[in-house]
Amino acid sequence: MADGAGKRILVVDDASLVRRFYRDALERAGFEVDEALNGVEALEKVLGEPFDLAIVDVNMPQMDGMTFLRTLRRQSAAVSSLPALVISTEAARQDAAAARAAGANFYLVKPVSQERLVEHVSIMCGLPT
Amino acid sequence: MPLVRRPSPPTEVAAAPASLTEGTSDQRWAAVRAVAERPDGVPLLAAALPLESDPRVREAIFTGLARAPTAESVEAVIPYLRSDDASLRTAAIDALRAMPEATRPYVAGLLADPEADVRLLSCEFARTLPESEANRLLGDLLVRETEKNVAAAAVEVLAEIGRPEVLPALASCAERFAGDGFLQFSIKEAADRIGQP
Amino acid sequence: MNEPPAVTGEEFRKVSDFLYRRTGMLFTETKRYYVERRIADRMSFLKIGSFPTYFGYLRGDVDGEIEKFINAFTVNETYFYREEHQLRCLSTDLLNERVRAKKPGETLRIWSVPCATGEEPYSIAMWLLDNWPEVDVQDIEIVGSDIDTECVAAAQRGEFGQRALMRLSPALIEKYFEALGEDRWRIVADLRQSVQFTAANLMNRSETRQHGKFDIIFCRNVLIYFDDASRRLAAENLFESLVPGGFICLGHTESMSRISPLFEVRRFADAIVYQRPPGGTNG
Repeated sequence: MADGAGKRILVVDDASLVRRFYRDALERAGFEVDEALNGVEALEKVLGEPFDLAIVDVNMPQMDGMTFLRTLRRQSAAVSSLPALVISTEAARQDAAAARAAGANFYLVKPVSQERLVEHVSIMCGLPT
Repeated sequence: MPLVRRPSPPTEVAAAPASLTEGTSDQRWAAVRAVAERPDGVPLLAAALPLESDPRVREAIFTGLARAPTAESVEAVIPYLRSDDASLRTAAIDALRAMPEATRPYVAGLLADPEADVRLLSCEFARTLPESEANRLLGDLLVRETEKNVAAAAVEVLAEIGRPEVLPALASCAERFAGDGFLQFSIKEAADRIGQP
Repeated sequence: MNEPPAVTGEEFRKVSDFLYRRTGMLFTETKRYYVERRIADRMSFLKIGSFPTYFGYLRGDVDGEIEKFINAFTVNETYFYREEHQLRCLSTDLLNERVRAKKPGETLRIWSVPCATGEEPYSIAMWLLDNWPEVDVQDIEIVGSDIDTECVAAAQRGEFGQRALMRLSPALIEKYFEALGEDRWRIVADLRQSVQFTAANLMNRSETRQHGKFDIIFCRNVLIYFDDASRRLAAENLFESLVPGGFICLGHTESMSRISPLFEVRRFADAIVYQRPPGGTNG
C-alpha cells in the first residue's frame, strides 16, 4: 500500500458520494484530504492553504472544472503551479484535450477504482507506488 | 471632515439600451438586465442567448430567464445541457435549478434522453421534485440504465431523497454493475441511509 | 438529564451532506453531538416524531428551517466590531487598493446592506477613524440600508444597549458614545450624522441602483438564506452596485461558491473577499 506521506489533496467534485469514495481511498493510503464542491470553493481553498494536488471534476455548479483550472493558472506562481488531475465523465478525446488546454496535468475517465486513484495520485505527488 | 455625508445618493441614469446584441459587454449586460425586468422579456432573452459569448452577459441572460419561470424559459435553456462547453452546461443547470416548478414537467423526458450526458446532468433536477415523483423517476432510470456514470448520478440524488420504495431499483442496479467499485460503494451508502421504513 | 435521541450515522451524514451543499457549513464527526441535539430540539419544537419527516422539512426549507437549524451554530446577534478581521482587512488592504485605483479626490463609498439597527455601518466609521492612517486625507461616504424601515429609524437614532457594545473598549465607548442612562448609549452626533441610512430591498434593482456605485459593500448573513433565483438576482444587483475593482464582504460562514460565479475570489491576510473584476466601464 502506498504511503501518502501526508501529502495534501484537494478533492473538487459536486457529488458527495464521489468525494467520500476518494477520501476513503486516499486517507487509507496516508494522504490528507480536503474538499470543495465547485470551482469557486476550490479557489478559496487553494488560495488559503498549500496543497500537493487537486483532483477536479468538470460538471459542477457555479464554476465548472475547466473554468476553475483556467482561473487557477492565472494566480500567483505558488498557487498556479498546483498539479491537477481531472477525473470526469466525458470520454471523448476532445474533452481530454480541452482539459489539458485549460491546465490539467492528467485526465482520467470516471468511474475510477480506488486502487487506480491512489496509484495516479501517488505518481503525480512524486511518491513511489 | 473625512466622513462625508450626502443628502441623497446620486441616481444612476443610464441611456436606454439599443439592443441586446450590440455594444460592449458592459452595455449588453445592462441591456439584458433591463430587458429581464420586462414582462415581455423572455423571447428577447431567448433570442439573444445563442448570439452571446461573454460569460457574464450569458449569466445575466440565464438569470433573467430564471426570473420568469415559464415553459418558454425552460425550453430556451434546455438545449444548453447538450453544449460542448462545460461552463454553458453549468450555467444551464444552475438556471433550471432556479426554476424548479417550471422545469418539473420536463424532467421525465430529460431522464429518458438518448444522450447519456443529458440524463446524467438531469438527475440533479429530481432533487426539487416531490419525493414520491422523484423516487419513481429515478427508480425507473436505475432499472433500465446501462451507463455507469448516469446510474451514479441518480444514486447521488437518492442518497438525499431516497425512500424505501426505491430500494429494489437500487438492488437491481447493484447487480447490473457488480464489478464497479464506486457504484457498489455509492449504492450501499444510499441504501444504508434509506434504511428501513 | 435528557440525552438527545440517537441519530444514526447515516442520518447524520445525510444532514451534514445536505447542509454542506446548501450553506457551505461543514459538520464533521467532531460536531456530531451538537447536530444531534439541534435535530432533537427542532423536532421537539415542531412536534415532529420521525427523522425522515424532519429531514423532508429541512430539505424543503419549510418556514426557513435551514436558517433556524443553522442559527444554533452561528452568533446571530449584531454588535459593534463583529467580525473584526474584516474591518482589519478593510483598513489594511481593501481601501488602500481602492485608493490606488481611484483618481485623487474621488470619494470612497462604503455600503452596509442590510445594516439592521446600524451596528455595522457605525462600526465601519469608528474603525476607520481609529485605524486607517489615511482617514484624514480621503473622503469616505458610508451608507447603511435595510429593507426594514423600523431598523432604519432605529439606526438613525443610534441608541444601543450594553450587549451591542460588548466588544468595545471603555476608551472607545467614551470616545464615540454618550451615556443616556441605564444600559443605554447613543453614538455621538458627529458620527450619527456622517452615516446615511436608507430603506432598500436587495432584490429590487431600481432601489439598489438608486444608491449609485460603491467601492466596498458589506453584505453579511443574508444572501445564503435566499432561494436560488433570489440569490442570483441579489448577487447581480450587488455586482452592479460595485465599481469595477470594488469589493464585497460576506459573513464569515458564507461563500460566493453557494451564491454566484460573477465575482473573483481574493484572499487577504485577514479575510477572503470577492471582487468585481477591474477594468471595463461602469456597467
